[in-house]
Amino acid sequence: MKFESYHPVINLIYFVYVIVCTVLFRHPFFVLCSFLSSFVYSVKLKGKKALILNIILTILTVPYALWYAFYNHFGVTELRQNFIGNSITLESTVYGLVLGFIIISVVMWMECVHDIMTADKWIYLLGRISPKCSLFLSIALRMIPRIKTRHKKVDDAQCSVGRGMRQGKFLRRIFNWFREASMVLTWFTEDLVTVSDSMRSRGYTLRGRTAFSIYRFDNRDRCFVLVMFFTISSCLAAHLLDQTNILYNPRIIFNPMTFMSYVFYAVYMLSCLLPMIVEIIGEESFRRSRGRVSGKNTKLEAGR
Amino acid sequence: MWAAACFDMAIFEIKDLSFKYPSSEERYALSHIDLSIEKGEYITVCGRSGCGKTTLLRHLKSVLTPHGKRTGDILFNGVDISKVSLYDQSSKIGFVQQNPDSQIVTDKVWHELAFGLESLGLDQRTMRLRVAEMASYFGIQSWFSKSVTELSGGQKQLLNLASIMAMQPEVLILDEPASQLDPIAASDFLNTVRKINLELGTTVIITEHRLEDILHASDRVVVMENGSILAAGSPKSIGMELKEKDSDMFCAMPSPVQVFYAAGGKGDCPLTVREGRNFLSEEFKDEEPKVSSVDSGEEYDPDVKDPVLEVKEIWFRYEKDLPDVLKGLSFKLRKGEIFSIVGGNGTGKSTSLKCISTALAPYRGKIFIKGKDIRKYTSEELFSGILAMLPQDPQCLFVKKTVRDDLLEMLPRKAQDKEDRIREVSKVCEIEDLLSSHPYDLSGGEQQRAALAKILLTDPEILLLDEPTKGMDAFFKLKFASVLKKLKERGVSIVMVSHDVEFCARYSDSVSMFFDGAIVTTNTPNRFFTKNSFYTTAANRMSRHVFANAVTNEDVIELYMKNKEGKGDADGR
Repeated sequence: MKFESYHPVINLIYFVYVIVCTVLFRHPFFVLCSFLSSFVYSVKLKGKKALILNIILTILTVPYALWYAFYNHFGVTELRQNFIGNSITLESTVYGLVLGFIIISVVMWMECVHDIMTADKWIYLLGRISPKCSLFLSIALRMIPRIKTRHKKVDDAQCSVGRGMRQGKFLRRIFNWFREASMVLTWFTEDLVTVSDSMRSRGYTLRGRTAFSIYRFDNRDRCFVLVMFFTISSCLAAHLLDQTNILYNPRIIFNPMTFMSYVFYAVYMLSCLLPMIVEIIGEESFRRSRGRVSGKNTKLEAGR
Repeated sequence: MWAAACFDMAIFEIKDLSFKYPSSEERYALSHIDLSIEKGEYITVCGRSGCGKTTLLRHLKSVLTPHGKRTGDILFNGVDISKVSLYDQSSKIGFVQQNPDSQIVTDKVWHELAFGLESLGLDQRTMRLRVAEMASYFGIQSWFSKSVTELSGGQKQLLNLASIMAMQPEVLILDEPASQLDPIAASDFLNTVRKINLELGTTVIITEHRLEDILHASDRVVVMENGSILAAGSPKSIGMELKEKDSDMFCAMPSPVQVFYAAGGKGDCPLTVREGRNFLSEEFKDEEPKVSSVDSGEEYDPDVKDPVLEVKEIWFRYEKDLPDVLKGLSFKLRKGEIFSIVGGNGTGKSTSLKCISTALAPYRGKIFIKGKDIRKYTSEELFSGILAMLPQDPQCLFVKKTVRDDLLEMLPRKAQDKEDRIREVSKVCEIEDLLSSHPYDLSGGEQQRAALAKILLTDPEILLLDEPTKGMDAFFKLKFASVLKKLKERGVSIVMVSHDVEFCARYSDSVSMFFDGAIVTTNTPNRFFTKNSFYTTAANRMSRHVFANAVTNEDVIELYMKNKEGKGDADGR
């Protein structure tokens, strides 16, 4: 139902596609598409927190554009002069604004990536390339929280004999911190011995390691691949036909718009919103199937 | 003929095995071990810490075998173990270690289950099936996609077992697997091991301190002492043999066994509480026991005058939105008393100790030490001479390379009598021989005593102990108890939080039941455990239908003797 439930490879391809397009395409419409869809999608995924962050980011684009125009002076339409006598032009301001929107769109896409691409998925993807590498990532992900909890334990124990990190005078505290760090380090090296025993006793050193995955590539994923193939080729065509960029220097000049331009716009917009659409359709069909089940139940009960 | 030979063949055949660590000059860690282990057997290896149990088990798997000088042969399925391929050893010999946490390699439960299978290079389909099978057999489905940090200790150890069973081993070797678990999780785990042995026919070789949970399940018990086998035999006869050899391993036997032989029992020895009950019923079948209660001492006086420590209705929660852990906990501690708090896992016993030791701060209620509010003490005042706590994991206290340096570090730099004080404290804690070893090289019980020595150097009047007997064997418990007695004589007051009902029953002055964030009841150990019917010692459970208030093994034996003596006189007349 959620885009998250698709195969990690699909997730990865999609985000690479959308971020690459965002960075490459400077046409205001394309920029707007990416901005709007990343805004909406990140809010859908992460809720209020993302909304606040996104609004702040959006507001920040204005000072960014002004700062950009203050230092870049290309273009012919002069708006005014700054205090050292350099001209501030319409073209550079607009270009600064476009760049600003591109940057925050990437940031907002990354918010979505963070939410969708869990550690499990990265481990799986890495496992496709090298099972050993993905295992190391997994071990690191296990070790870091363990070291933290160990440090908490050591600190609690030291607190209870009056040598904690938060006890005594300033210098004493620093000294205590180093003491605790050294304890954690000693424990860690000791612990690694047990970990490596456990790994070796389960055949870690054998050749030909494989990687287990909890993911399955199903028909839904295949459908998504087809759609992706279509949108990627359309974007490529648009790019080759110079439909994704406009001229900002020396003057803002749009490429002539044809019927095909509208098709490209529509496809790009659609592709940016794709995960949203998938999720909304999924939720809708879930609601309907629930409705059907409960409808049946009420009918049955009425029949009794 | 061939089939019969194949069937009879031992899975492990150890012939005259001797082993010496490179560091030790003379002492053999293992000497002249002869042991043959049949397929499908459940073998318990026991002996005091440092008797060579772990060294022996580690010899049964090449990658874990320690370095050193070795003579003798080990055959696995008739083949010398060094000639068995790594692949076969990895899949056919499963090894579970002591610490549940440090055996887990990866960050997710599903990944851990598949770890061994990945190493064996199995394909996706087989792995899926095996993982699914294991998750279903061990009841792991509900936490299958969890991160391992979210699991409890018992779940972690079960995961370790499951991830080894996924490789379908022929033999399962377990080195004190339940010593770090609380009693309920421990018996769950050991029952699962038993189930594997019964249902799958997997050979089990296990070492464990908690003999009451495994002795009745085992086919054979091997007792080791100083690196050689002292006795071996069926669990029903092993007690007899130990008694005859006057071995100190006898005190590690479960209560029914100790009572049986102390009472001069002959024949089949009771192993479980049920069998122990039956034995006593049989003995007192015809007559009511004349003396049915021991002297239970003075009544518990709930009105404590001048308590050294008073906890007054403290409330605590870890986060604003989480439920309360402590709900109005109050108690008073007399000077020179050992006060035990028992209760289930995760009820907040350790939390209450942390609140007293100021590592955590309660949000309501007060704690008074010698009549003064604890918040009015500075941490220097409090922790030099008044209060100290021994944490659950003694390793959290060690910083230096040797125990002696670790003790020195605790004293103020300019102190004059450093050596004297260290000598004194190491005498009290009985660690004089261990001063030059690395703290991490000591066994669990020794570490516990070294850590205790370390905190005793601050001369505390109040000592807080968090699960002091966790992972300790019977002798170390005795030793630890003698240390506690010495401290008590010096007027140190002790608060002890523990799962170890037997230990609390034997050595404390008052026992409290902790439940739902507060103390439910407090009494003297004898009265406390006599009133309980589930949460009590094995000796009490097996004798309560005959004797009114026998709580420890000694109580049962004493009452038994008194009654039988009387009877003997009667017969004589």
